Amino acid sequence: MDQINHAVLDNREQNKAMARILTVLSSFASSRAEFGISELSQHLGMTKNMVFRAIKTLVEQDYVMRDPSGQRYQLGFRVLELQNVTSPEPTFRTLCAPAMQQIHELTGETVSLTVRALDYSVFIDGIETRKPGVWRLQIGALRPLHANSTGHVYLAFADDAALSDYIARHEHDPAPQSGESLNETALREDIAAIRKRGYATSVRQGMLPMASLAFPIWDAEHNLHGVISVGGPKERFEPLVAGLLPSITGIIETLCQRTRLYAASAASSEITL
Amino acid sequence: MKTRKRAAINSSAQHVFDVLRTVSDAAEPPGVSDIGRRLGLTGSTVFRALTTLEASGYVSRFRNLPQFELGTMPYLLNRALLNRFEINLASRPFLHELARETGETVSLNVRLGWYSLRLSGVYGSRDIYHRDRLGELGFLHHGLPGRAILAFLADTELASMADFLAETGHEWPGEAAWAELRAILRGTAETGFLAEKLPMSPGFCAIGMPVRDEAGTAIASITINGPVFPSGNINTLLAVRDRLEAMILADPQRFASPFAHLPPERILLKVPRSKAAP
Repeated sequence: MDQINHAVLDNREQNKAMARILTVLSSFASSRAEFGISELSQHLGMTKNMVFRAIKTLVEQDYVMRDPSGQRYQLGFRVLELQNVTSPEPTFRTLCAPAMQQIHELTGETVSLTVRALDYSVFIDGIETRKPGVWRLQIGALRPLHANSTGHVYLAFADDAALSDYIARHEHDPAPQSGESLNETALREDIAAIRKRGYATSVRQGMLPMASLAFPIWDAEHNLHGVISVGGPKERFEPLVAGLLPSITGIIETLCQRTRLYAASAASSEITL
Repeated sequence: MKTRKRAAINSSAQHVFDVLRTVSDAAEPPGVSDIGRRLGLTGSTVFRALTTLEASGYVSRFRNLPQFELGTMPYLLNRALLNRFEINLASRPFLHELARETGETVSLNVRLGWYSLRLSGVYGSRDIYHRDRLGELGFLHHGLPGRAILAFLADTELASMADFLAETGHEWPGEAAWAELRAILRGTAETGFLAEKLPMSPGFCAIGMPVRDEAGTAIASITINGPVFPSGNINTLLAVRDRLEAMILADPQRFASPFAHLPPERILLKVPRSKAAP
């Protein structure tokens, strides 16, 4: 019996050690090229000894190698073997899915993912809240960029000339909800605030006032892949925002470390090439 | 076949990496027993390895079946490695320019030891287009991008590559075929680019242009590889390539390969099965 228990414990320890090795390797899946042992230790919350042992194994496998200075570690060429030409690469939706799930679990509210299609944002994925007062997700629905905070994020991180061109094209269009024309002053004010803050906040008045946050998802060339939004009834969502914002922005930043590995222009929002 | 010896690691880690590579290399998503059979491991060892790999995003279940395929993490690592080549992002404006000019898919491959690695690509405007994967790996003598690099390597390097292929047994085409390839490559070096007919588009060809360092040695190649590219306006395309070369020559340290400090024979990679044959 004791022998069996020892075997089970050994297996558990081995699995933990292997999980640590894979966690250390995963740290290199970011836009950062090199790490030192201390940095990884701090970043991952592991002891230096644990990190060193993991790195040693990864170096032996050529998945990680010392940089030319010999002091730091970088990805090794052998990760190139880890690809399967018969299976599809991750898409933008599959990359975003875990982050959307995390934000949904954190807030309990509706989370949506859009990409830009010409002068519109188009919903490509989302998770609806299980609570009453649902912000309905219509996959494939188009919204003019000036119509909501998600669209404002695309306009905010376009250059000024592209923004002015957009306004010129749409200044007489009625807004889909209110029927009012595009309010250039209000739009420019909101865009200035988004540029300063790095994300959008909005409250939509109506029978059930709704509040939302919208975050840009960046690519390798500092262009947008898309926007993730989260929101719900103002009375329910707004009181949560201050407390949850650091966690949400942390999730978005972790996601962007991955999406920044891809160029959005390579395949117009399809992340593979 | 001779393979470079990799240092021994503990058997648990070795099993996990072996399982990962088996999933990566499989033509169809394998199950626990398939993997166990291929590696000579028990079902419980394979299952434990797959559980660990799945929890870390390295493998995922295939359509909720008890079969496994690569997860997101290996692809992210792959992209992270491609982004370590400074030439990747810096070359994109030039690739965009060529894609606009031709309407076709334009790719940048770099030399990695004796391999060609597809680093960057931009699609043109045509509805029917050529699609290849970034991170695609092949020996230099396989495929247009690699041959466009190989044509601009010194004879001594070609001899070293032949030794490498012959010693490792990797896709060594034999003395006669190698000599024939060298003769073709000498012709390519004189014209300055390589054009190859596209089997599915009669009368049209793909173009491979070397990107050279100050010694004239190819470090990369640009391929315009659409199904309907006419080979008429090559000088316009070469001019864009020349500007990319000038950018690299102005700052060679910045654009050096992150693996430039390794001798080519140190870089030993398993080429994905479907890309191994010419």
